[in-house]
Amino acid sequence: MITAERKPMEELIECLRPYNRILLVGCNECVTVCSAGGRKEVGILSSALQMAFMKEGKTLEVKEMTLERQCDPEYVEELVIQIDQVEAVMSMACGCGVQEIARRFKTKPVFPAVNTEFMGASERPGVWVERCQGCGDCVLGLTGGICPIARCSKRLLNGPCGGSTNGKCEVDPDIECAWQLIWDRLKALGLEDRYEENIAAKDWRTGRGGGPRKIIREDLVK
Amino acid sequence: MSFQKRLTSGEFVVLAEMNTPKGVDISELVTNARRIKGRVDAVIVPDMDNGIMRMSALAGGVLMHQQGVESIIHVYCRDRNRMALQGDILAAHVLGIQNLVVVHSEEMAKGDHRDAKLVDDLDELDLLGAIQSLQNGVDMAGFDLSGSPSFTVGCTMAPSADNAAFEKELSLARKKIEAGVQFIITPPVYDLNRFSAALDAFKKLGVPIIPTVFLIKSVGIARYISTYEPGAHISEDLIKRIRKASDTEMECLRIAGETVAGLKEVAQGVHIITLGWEYRLPKILDYAGI
Repeated sequence: MITAERKPMEELIECLRPYNRILLVGCNECVTVCSAGGRKEVGILSSALQMAFMKEGKTLEVKEMTLERQCDPEYVEELVIQIDQVEAVMSMACGCGVQEIARRFKTKPVFPAVNTEFMGASERPGVWVERCQGCGDCVLGLTGGICPIARCSKRLLNGPCGGSTNGKCEVDPDIECAWQLIWDRLKALGLEDRYEENIAAKDWRTGRGGGPRKIIREDLVK
Repeated sequence: MSFQKRLTSGEFVVLAEMNTPKGVDISELVTNARRIKGRVDAVIVPDMDNGIMRMSALAGGVLMHQQGVESIIHVYCRDRNRMALQGDILAAHVLGIQNLVVVHSEEMAKGDHRDAKLVDDLDELDLLGAIQSLQNGVDMAGFDLSGSPSFTVGCTMAPSADNAAFEKELSLARKKIEAGVQFIITPPVYDLNRFSAALDAFKKLGVPIIPTVFLIKSVGIARYISTYEPGAHISEDLIKRIRKASDTEMECLRIAGETVAGLKEVAQGVHIITLGWEYRLPKILDYAGI
C-alpha cells in the first residue's frame, strides 16, 4: 500500500486560514489501511480544525466526504455536488489523490493533509515499513524476495557494505541489514550459490531516471 | 586583463568553448588552447556536454590554466549531490579556476549513459546559493570553511520559441541574478536584428550579457537547427548563402566571424561554439577582426 502520515496541525491551519468553507476529502484505499486519511481520520481532523479555528474566534465550515478511490476520475467526479459550495479542498489521500482533484477542478485550491511516505507493508499493528521503491525492473527473484533497492540504505545490488554489523545497518541500528536478510533467506532456500553471482549495474531508466512514468495497456484503452 | 576585470570594466569579452576528450588523450585540447592563447579572454569548458561522458570539466579547466589560458567551467546538478558539488567547487578554486557557469543539465535519456541514475539533489538556484555560501566561508550544512573560494559566476539562458517563453527565461534570469549571477550567456544568435530587438530586455537585467555564436558547418546543420529549434530563427537567406558558397567551410567560418563582429557593436561579449572545429577558431576570430 501507499503509506502516509498526517501533516502537523499548525501547517494545516496555516494553509486553510484564508478560507471559511472547505471540503475535507478522505480516501477508502491505502490511507484508510494505514490510518492516515480514511473516513475515521476525516472526522477527527474535521473536528480538530473547527476547534482550532474556533479558539481563534473564527468559524470554519467543513464538509466531509470520503471517496472510494481518490486516484480514480470516476470517484473524484462525485465531488461535483459539493465543490461549488466550498472555497477550497483539503485532501487526506496520497499525492495521487490530491493531484487528481487538482486536475479535475482546475480553479479550486486543493491542499494535502497528509505527507505521502512510501510503498510499504504492515509489520505489526501501528507499524508500517518500506518494501518497494517502484524501480520498474524487479530483482526480487534474484534476491530471495527481499528488495535491496528499498531495504538497503545504500541500495546496493551486490551487498552487504562494510557497515553491516550483527545483521544491522550502520545508518541506524534499528534498520535490519537487507543483505543479511537476503543471505539468510537464500540459505533457507538452499540457494547460497546465487549470493556469489554479481547483479549487473541497474538500468535506472525504468525508474525515475527516465522521467515521469506511464503504463499503457492497449487492450484496455478506450 | 582577467575575464572578471574585463567584465566589470565593460570591455568586450571573447569566450571560446572547448570540450574535454572522451578518454585521456589531451593533445588536441591542449593544441587548440595554444592556438587561441592571447586571442580569447577565456575558454569555457563544458562538463559532460550533451550528456556525453567525458573527462571532467574540472580537469579541463586545470589543463587550460596550465597552458596560461583562463577558463570558465560548467557546473550542473544532474550527476553530483551537494557534497560532491561543493567539494569540486573548492577544488576548482585551489587548482586556479576563477570562473564558473551554472548550467542546466541535459536529460539523461539524450546522453550516452541512458541507464544512469539521476542525482539532481539541487537545482540551479540551489547550486548558485551554495556557491555564494562557500564564497562567504560557510558550507551548505552551515559549517565554517577553512579558507573560502572566490569566483566570477555566470549562468545560461535557454532558447525561447516565443515571447511568453522569453519572459519566463527573463524571470528565471532575474532569480539567478539575485542568487549571485554576474554574467549571463544567452542562446546562439543567427539573426542580429532579432538579438538587437531583445537588447532592452537584456539590459534591464543589469548584468553583462554574452550571446553565443554557434558555428554552422553545413546546410544540413542549418536546416536541422531551423527545424528542431523553433527559437533559433535561421533565415532562408542564410541557408541560401551557405548553399551557394563555392567553399562551404570558409563561408560558414565567415558567417560566424561576421556575427561575432556584429555582436561586438551591441553586446558585452561573445561565446563561440565550434563543436569539434576548435582548430578553426583562429579563422573565425580573423573574420571577426579580433
